[in-house]
Amino acid sequence: MNARGLRKYVDDLLRGRRPKAFQPDDFEAAQIRTAIELRAARPGDDAPRPEFLNDLHARLAEQMAAAPPEVARVSKWNTTRRQVVVGTSAAAAAAVTAVSVDRLVLGGQAEAPAASGQLTPNDGRWMRVAASSDVPDGVMHPFDLGSVNGFVRRVNGKPEAVSGVCTHQGCRLWFDASDDRLNCPCHTTSFAPSGQVLTHQLPIAPKPLPKLMVREVNGAIEVFAPASPVEPA
Amino acid sequence: MSRNEPVGPRQLRAVPNDGYADWEAVYQDNATWVYRTLFARVGNRADAEDLTAEVFLAALRPLRLTASVGEVRAYLRATARTVLAAHWRETLGREITAIEDIEQPPESEEAISDAPQRVAEVLDTLPDNYRRILELRFLESNSIKESAAELGISVANAKVLQHRALRLAAQINDANDGGQL
Repeated sequence: MNARGLRKYVDDLLRGRRPKAFQPDDFEAAQIRTAIELRAARPGDDAPRPEFLNDLHARLAEQMAAAPPEVARVSKWNTTRRQVVVGTSAAAAAAVTAVSVDRLVLGGQAEAPAASGQLTPNDGRWMRVAASSDVPDGVMHPFDLGSVNGFVRRVNGKPEAVSGVCTHQGCRLWFDASDDRLNCPCHTTSFAPSGQVLTHQLPIAPKPLPKLMVREVNGAIEVFAPASPVEPA
Repeated sequence: MSRNEPVGPRQLRAVPNDGYADWEAVYQDNATWVYRTLFARVGNRADAEDLTAEVFLAALRPLRLTASVGEVRAYLRATARTVLAAHWRETLGREITAIEDIEQPPESEEAISDAPQRVAEVLDTLPDNYRRILELRFLESNSIKESAAELGISVANAKVLQHRALRLAAQINDANDGGQL
């Protein structure tokens, strides 16, 4: 019970002042919530002040121009304890959000995003990427046809191929055999040999790797890919 | 094997311009609804401004601009949810209000605030003098003195009336929620 704390809190809400912290019990918390809703239901009173929007715009411009991402950015204000705590919790907020997006990607088969589809060029031909004997079970075989590069492997004896280019910003992936994953050198995104995203540190998960059309004929593995680009004469 | 054969020519389509050009576009387009969403849950300008600033300072830098408008807004609402939860932990030590998971897009009126509907429901069930004091004080911004004059009672009585009306309104509000708090 803290009758005085509650009275002050409600009074501050009514006077448009920042309310002061105290430890409310259950019923006091319910009264605060109702007081907030009553106050927030005042018609036409919840638009942000233009001065506030401009000031925040300037602070954001300063932040976005500055270099290192982890530096505290409370510079313009008087750094009271509350604001330091606030700054820390904001960083935590971003981290938590990123993690929950990450979980969506990693949350098991049912939730995994659909593959980016199959790369089937408009005008292509079957091109040899390896001898059959070069791709035994359990091996990730890289290839580069100029127009397309990727990795071919066997799944239950049948060849499968994925693109070797990260779906975030196009950096070239490399295969880490000890970890059995394709890694991106740019932002440490990693993909399973099947093309599914395994880990990333981006706010929103990148797409899985496109699959390539692949077949095995006459002792060779072939990928359907566009012929090398034709340059104008 | 048919799945593994090349298909015929496909239609060439323009890519819809669905994302934001830069962080400033993200800010201009979303600052107002983020602020209003937070204001509806803290009820005062100072906290709403601080929390809005916190959301954008935390969210903009790691934001990937190739994300669609819908993804950016969902991300901003998720960040606002975390920021608001931290605010209540730090000030009152318990969650007073929350930003819920909802179907509606974050910038829609339903998503920003359901306070007007909830308040209307509660006020409807209150006795007349209780309803009037809450309307005068909270919705019409009258001072306690003005409200007392309006109701023809003393200031001391108006204070007691407001206190009792808020208690009863909170009980009804709480019951409407199935006693969540």
